Amino acid sequence: MKAKPETQAALGLDVGTSRIVLASQEDETFKFDTQLNAFVCVPFSRMTEKALTREGVPFARNGSDLLVHGNEAPRFADLLNSETRRPMTQGVLNPAEPESVPVMRQIVEAMTSSFRDNRPKLCFTVPAWPLAANGVNEEGLTYHEATLRQIFAELDYEVLGINEGLAVIYSELEDTNFTGIGISCGGGLCNVALSYLSMPAMSFSIPKAGDYIDSSAASVTGDLANRVRLAKEERFHFNGHFVDKLQQVLTVYYDDMINGLLTAMREAFSNPKRMPKLSKPIPLVLSGGTASPKGFRDRFEKLLRATDFPIQISEVRLARDPHTATARGALIAALTEMQ
Amino acid sequence: MELERLYRCSWYHRWVESRASLIRDPVRRLSYLRRAMPVLPRRRSGVHAMLLMAAAFGLVMIAIPGQNTGSGWFLDREVAAPYRETRVASEAAVWIVESRGTHEVYSNGLRIETDGVVENEPRVSNVLQAGRLSVIAGQSAPAGIVYHTTESHIAPFEATNNLRLQRVGRWLRDFVAQNRSYHYLIDRFGRVHRVVRESDAAYHAGASVWGIQQTVWVNLNHSFLGVAFESQTTAGDKLAESVTPAQIRAAATLTSMLRSRYNLPPDNCVTHAQASVNPANMGIGLHTDWGANFPFAEVGLPDNYAQPLAAIHQFGFIADELYRNATGPRLARGIQAAEETLSSQATALNLATDVHRQALQQRYRKIMSALPKQLAAAAQESKENRP
Repeated sequence: MKAKPETQAALGLDVGTSRIVLASQEDETFKFDTQLNAFVCVPFSRMTEKALTREGVPFARNGSDLLVHGNEAPRFADLLNSETRRPMTQGVLNPAEPESVPVMRQIVEAMTSSFRDNRPKLCFTVPAWPLAANGVNEEGLTYHEATLRQIFAELDYEVLGINEGLAVIYSELEDTNFTGIGISCGGGLCNVALSYLSMPAMSFSIPKAGDYIDSSAASVTGDLANRVRLAKEERFHFNGHFVDKLQQVLTVYYDDMINGLLTAMREAFSNPKRMPKLSKPIPLVLSGGTASPKGFRDRFEKLLRATDFPIQISEVRLARDPHTATARGALIAALTEMQ
Repeated sequence: MELERLYRCSWYHRWVESRASLIRDPVRRLSYLRRAMPVLPRRRSGVHAMLLMAAAFGLVMIAIPGQNTGSGWFLDREVAAPYRETRVASEAAVWIVESRGTHEVYSNGLRIETDGVVENEPRVSNVLQAGRLSVIAGQSAPAGIVYHTTESHIAPFEATNNLRLQRVGRWLRDFVAQNRSYHYLIDRFGRVHRVVRESDAAYHAGASVWGIQQTVWVNLNHSFLGVAFESQTTAGDKLAESVTPAQIRAAATLTSMLRSRYNLPPDNCVTHAQASVNPANMGIGLHTDWGANFPFAEVGLPDNYAQPLAAIHQFGFIADELYRNATGPRLARGIQAAEETLSSQATALNLATDVHRQALQQRYRKIMSALPKQLAAAAQESKENRP
C-alpha cells in the first residue's frame, strides 16, 4: 500500500542582529516565536547547571562555562553586571565573537526543534549589500549567508534565502501586488528593498540602526548599551517631549538614523538605470524593532515629506507587527516555493 | 526574446496586476506574480537609448540585471556601484603607418599580416555586480591580453627546414582561423598574423578568471585578446627552447601596439596558465601554457607571475599538485600570494579556511549560473544595436 505522504512544513526565520524570529503556519494562522540573539557566559558548576535545567533556561555547556542564550540572556547579564555577548553585529555574524556560530546553531536548533521531522522548507532572511563601503563588512555578508546555510543544511532543512527588505514587502504589501518599498529597521542594519509586482528591483542596507542609537546614547548618558536598549524598548515615545535626558538623547540619534536612511534612499532611487518604470505612487512600509516606538512612523513620514524624494510615495505604513513582519514575509516566500 | 519584450510591456503589467488582484490568498498571489513576471522592466529614457548606442561603439559598459528567475531571485544583491578601471596604463603612442589589403605597418615597426583574418561573434558587454565585486564576462573593448602557446607540431628551427617550417606555419594559421582560436598568432619567424578581428570574441581562454582588486573578469573570450606563440613546450623548458627571439621581439611590439590602442593596464597582460580554471573540480589551471618562463620583461611588462591569482582568493579555486608541477617557481609566488590573501580573509572573518573557500566557490557557481542567459540577452542587444 502506498503510504500517504506527510506534508512538508514551511518556516520563515528572521535572523536579526538583535532578535531571531521564527514564523510557522498552523492550520491557516501564522505563529511566531522570538528569541534574543544574545548570550552570556556563566561559570560552570553542577548546581548552576541543575538550576538552569530546572528553570527551563536554554543553555549549552562550553568547557568551563555555561552559555545562556536567548531571552534569558539579559536577566543573567544584569545579575552578573555585564553586557550580553552578541553572535551577530551589523547584520552579520560577529567576526570578533568566537562563539558566534555555535551559539547561533544552539538558538536556531532550540527554536525549530519541533518542526524538524519531514525536512521542512526554511526561508531565512539575509541582509542586502551596503549602498557604499560605509563600515559594513561586505565579505562578511557572503560568509554570514554561507555559514547560516551550512548550519540549516546540517539541521536538515531545505534552505532558501530572502532579502530582508523584500520579506517585509511580501508580508505587508499584498494589497498593492507586492509593489512598494519595504524597510526593515533592525539592530545592526536598516535594510531597504524596492519591489515591482513582487520582483526585487533594488535593495541595499545601511549600518545605522538600533545598535547605533543604543551605543551612541549610552556613550552620552554613561549607561550600558544593554540598559539603554531596554529603556528604549520599554518607554521611548517619539513625541517631542523630553521627560528625561535619555529620551532627549534617543530622539537626537533616532533623527540622525532616519536622516541617514533617507539620504541613502534618495541616492539609490535617483539612479534611473536601476529603477523600474512606476506609473503611480507606491507605498512604503516600515518594520523591525527599531521602527516600533510610538511616533516613529509619523516622524519618518515628516522627514520624508520634507525631502526631495525621487519616488512618489502614496503612504507610509508601519507593519502590522513590526517585530514579526520580516519573519512573516520569509514564511510567505517559503510557502510560495511549495506552490 | 519575443516573450521578454512582452514581459516589458506596460499593458501586460496591467493585465497581470488585474488578474493577481482576483487572487485572495497572498501566497497564491505571490506565486502567480512570480510566474507571470520573470523579467523586471527597465526604464528606457532617451539618454539611456543613447548610452546603449554608445555601448555598441565601446564607450560605455551596460550593466545587465542580476538573475531573476527561479528561487534564486529572492536574493537580489544588485548594488549601484559602477565599474571602474583599476589602473590606467601609460604606454607610448603607437599608430598605424600603412594599411594595405594584406598587411598593416605600425610606428613601432610592427607588421601585422591581415590577409587571413576571419570574423567571429561580436564581443558583448556583460557586467554583474556581486556586492562591490564587478564581475565582467564580456566588454565591448578589450580589457587585456592572454598569452598562449599553440602546443602544435613544430619542425626544428634550422635553415635546412625552411620549407617545412613555412608549411607547418601555414597549416597552423589555417587551423586556428578555422577554429577562431586566437586574435593573433606569432609564427616561428616572428610574423604576426591577425586571425580573428579585434572587435570579435575568439575562443582562446574558455573557463578562465582574472582579476585586479574588486574587478574580476570571467571567461575571458569576450573581454581579453588572445595572442598565441607557435610553440610546443614541456615542463622545465628554458625560454630559448620554447620560442624564438624573433617571436619575443614581435610579441613586444604587438603588446605595445595593443596596450597603446586600448589603454590596457599592464597588470591585465597575463598568461593562459594564470587565468585558466576548471569549474568541474574547482581546480585552477585546466590549461598550463606559459605556466613558466613567459618573458614579461622582454615584452615590456612587469613580472605578472607574482600577482595573486584571483581565481583563488575571489572564487576559492584550488591549485593542486598537478598544476604546481606543471608551472614554475615564478608563478608559485602568485599562488602563494593568493592563498595568503584567502587565509587572511578567513582569519578576519573568524572562519576556517576551508569554510571560507567553500563560500567563495559557492559565489563563483552562483555568478556563473546567472551568466548564460545574460550573455544571450547581451548578444541579442549588441546585434540590434550594430550599425
